[in-house]
Amino acid sequence: MIWLNVAQALLLVAIAPLVRGVIARLKARIQNRRGASVWRPYADLAKLFRKEDLTPPSASIVFRFAPMIVFAATVTAAAFVPVVHGSALLGATGDFILLVYLLALSRFFLSLGAMDGGSSFGGMGASREALVSALAEVPLLLGLVAVAILARTATLAGIVQWTVRQDFTQISAVHALAFAALALVAIAETGRIPVDNPTTHLELTMIHEAMVLEYSGPSLALIEWASAVKLSVLLALLIAVFAPWGMAGGVSVPALALATLAFLLKVFVLALAIAVVESSIAKLRMYLVPDFLGVASALAILAVVFTALMR
Amino acid sequence: MIQTFFDAFLIGLLCIPAVILVGGRQRPLRVLASTLLLIGLLAGTAVAGVCFWRGDRLAIDLSQLTPLPFAVAVDRLSAFFLLLICGVGAAVTLFSHSYIEHHYSGQRRDWLWALLPLFLLSMMLVVTASTAFAFLFGWELMTLFSAGLIVIDGDSERRRHSLYVYLLMMHAGAAAVAAGFFLFLPNAAGLSFASMRTAAALMPAGLRTAIFLLAFIGFGTKAGIVPLHIWLPKAHPIAPSPVSALMSGVMLKTAVYGFVRFGFDFLGGGPDWWGYLVLAAGAVSGVLGVLYAIAEHDLKRLLAYHSVENIGIIYLGLGAALVFRAHNAPVWVALALLAALLHTLNHGLFKSLLFLGAGAVSHAAHTLDIEELGGLLKRMRTTGAAFLVACCSIIGLPIFNGFISEWLTFRSFLAGSALGSMPASVVLPLMAGVLALIGGLAAACFAKVYGVAFLGRPRSAEADHAQEVPFAMRASMVLLAAPCVVIGIAPGFVLRPLSAALQPFLPGTVLPEEAVAIAGVMPWIAAAVLALVFAATAIRRVTRVTATWACGLPGLDSRMQYTSTSFSKPLRRVFSQVYKPDRTLEILPADRPYFPTAISYRSVRTTSFEKSLYRPAVEAIVGTAHRLRRLQTGNIQVYLLYIFMALVALLVFMRFA
Repeated sequence: MIWLNVAQALLLVAIAPLVRGVIARLKARIQNRRGASVWRPYADLAKLFRKEDLTPPSASIVFRFAPMIVFAATVTAAAFVPVVHGSALLGATGDFILLVYLLALSRFFLSLGAMDGGSSFGGMGASREALVSALAEVPLLLGLVAVAILARTATLAGIVQWTVRQDFTQISAVHALAFAALALVAIAETGRIPVDNPTTHLELTMIHEAMVLEYSGPSLALIEWASAVKLSVLLALLIAVFAPWGMAGGVSVPALALATLAFLLKVFVLALAIAVVESSIAKLRMYLVPDFLGVASALAILAVVFTALMR
Repeated sequence: MIQTFFDAFLIGLLCIPAVILVGGRQRPLRVLASTLLLIGLLAGTAVAGVCFWRGDRLAIDLSQLTPLPFAVAVDRLSAFFLLLICGVGAAVTLFSHSYIEHHYSGQRRDWLWALLPLFLLSMMLVVTASTAFAFLFGWELMTLFSAGLIVIDGDSERRRHSLYVYLLMMHAGAAAVAAGFFLFLPNAAGLSFASMRTAAALMPAGLRTAIFLLAFIGFGTKAGIVPLHIWLPKAHPIAPSPVSALMSGVMLKTAVYGFVRFGFDFLGGGPDWWGYLVLAAGAVSGVLGVLYAIAEHDLKRLLAYHSVENIGIIYLGLGAALVFRAHNAPVWVALALLAALLHTLNHGLFKSLLFLGAGAVSHAAHTLDIEELGGLLKRMRTTGAAFLVACCSIIGLPIFNGFISEWLTFRSFLAGSALGSMPASVVLPLMAGVLALIGGLAAACFAKVYGVAFLGRPRSAEADHAQEVPFAMRASMVLLAAPCVVIGIAPGFVLRPLSAALQPFLPGTVLPEEAVAIAGVMPWIAAAVLALVFAATAIRRVTRVTATWACGLPGLDSRMQYTSTSFSKPLRRVFSQVYKPDRTLEILPADRPYFPTAISYRSVRTTSFEKSLYRPAVEAIVGTAHRLRRLQTGNIQVYLLYIFMALVALLVFMRFA
């Protein structure tokens, strides 16, 4: 059992760059370009790991350790999500709160690392990230709380096991609202369009890119890998909470293989959705992002209110 | 054995101020006295620890010697708070060893050393009192001694105003608390806690509600819940840093103690609207406290606003406990109370650490304006590391102590949905959203504080030349940082006795399974994070220090960094409704706006509570007083008429009553 849970977490960490590559490739196709290979993020990471680590003269020990803590906290968060089986390595009651706060730990140190660079861009990115994440925390937690109330359990594994037993066609309003809220949050938290543009280098608009501007070499590789892992963790979370059907019931090899295939297929569908959204709408002005997250919060609050009406 | 030890400890602490005032001028005697204070507080920590972990009870009854019944008793709940006071007090005393010697001399230094143990003693009296008289005596002394400690730092006009607001609010609060006690009198045999406890069960609902509301207002004033918080950001920043640490870290907690005693021990809960009232107070305090903090860049005032925020989080837990109590769900009451009490301890630890850190910063860089700081971590490694631990703890990041109590609060909110009654099962889960908002905003605020003050480049020559503080200061900060991490990784050793402390008013309480779960999983998470960080350090890397490209300019300078003001700008803009700043923009000369010779811009933020709540109230009182003054004509015939009228009125009253 424990090896299975370790494997689930490792799967999320391992496929994270691939998910990015797939999204980039799909976007390219939609925009009538050929695009790079889906494996390019791995090559990028390998290249960065071999490169020099350049440090600004003002940087302290926080600058050096921040990428490691960012990576460690994000990968630990990956150990909370059931991927192919209705259990997780670090499952306990209230574990989704832990997951949210581990992501907060990673974000806090990324901001500190950015500000330690001593240039204006780091502070700019950290300030904007602080705005986005402070407002994203509410819908993220409330969306999960709503589903947890419905499933009458406080563990992600419990939610998965409950949802698997439900009929797909009788999905409730709470699920629809909570899914909408969490999908919006996932976009904001992972810095995708319309909240942030992962491919931008224009200082007027960038958030995540501004924060990592001073980083290079292995440090940058850790941060980029961590942010890829964060994307897959949030996608896997959406899948686990709202569409866990297809997960393996037992631990037999064919069942797990099938479940892995189903998971990859679901991730592909979500990646396609992201690619379509990113190709079809423009990035929001920074001060419209609070409205975007306000909509997510309103949806999540409604979801929680509806849980009381569902009983 | 432990009783004798406790008696000796109290007598010893009482002697120290006398020694200092008599012989404080001689340095050896002063050092001896302060060392004795430190040893005494460590012994007190040990005594409180024994009582807390083993459940020993202590009692001293001085009723024969005093006109009103005066007794102290230590049960587990008292021992918990005593542990906090003595533990934090010991660290603060250690810090003061070098801080006071560096910054104060002559009479001011003597008075600081004399009042510090008295202030600590008065707080100990509050949390151990077992009669109303002893409690109120300690409560009043606590205000007076802290005010005395603030006065030592000087008495300019502004400081005097702040101190006046502090004393005024404290006395209004004390009056409410005293009235709360006296309302027990018609039903209780006396004002000992034991007789009040038995009396409370027999009292009519209206009287119980009146007592609860008085306690809510009285203790809320001391705790600093919005809108009774206005004294807090005024009084805390003007005290000497070790005193601010005690006021914010420990003194506010005596109000939590009092509220728990009244609400749960004496009254044993009440109708559920009590809980909603406390939840509302907690939510408003939490969100507004952190929003006000974000806009500050004076380190100590910022930290004072964060005390308002954290008291809000504690009140969220207390409110949830009251709601559960009203719905008769004792397991959840225990969970929510555990959350609130653990956060009380945690906040005591990390907030006093943050204030001591602020003291160390002002010692090293001679300013508390974070816009003038920067790059301090490289210059003050231990202070910077301890401050970082405190920042992570106050935000509630995993593997630090603040997370455990916030997690417990979250978990009890989630349990609210299981109550099945309509307002509770919606209100409590939604409070999880409020707590998440508070957490997110606090993270933003402390990313700002730490990033601007400790990281990057120094923004002033003072910050550039800052040097690490002396050993005693560093040691005290490390002493406070260590339990923050230990409780964060292995909270079980505090949670277990803490749940036992609830037994007197929640019979049959055992450690809730949720608390067991978090205590079980945290070590694994800590191990996972640390192992991964360790693994990441093993990556082979070639590091080269090189200047950042400055777009063709000679190089980056410290003024190109984001400032505290610019960092908080997006949040201040989004929440502009809360701040409502008064802005004045002046361009000179006015007739040539495109070729000005001077532009001045001022943005002043008076908290709206003072403007729209306190000022009208004060004006109404003063106005009424002016109108009443017409009675005072100074004419003796008129006064005789008043006396005659009063006499007639009395006679009429006596005839018909």
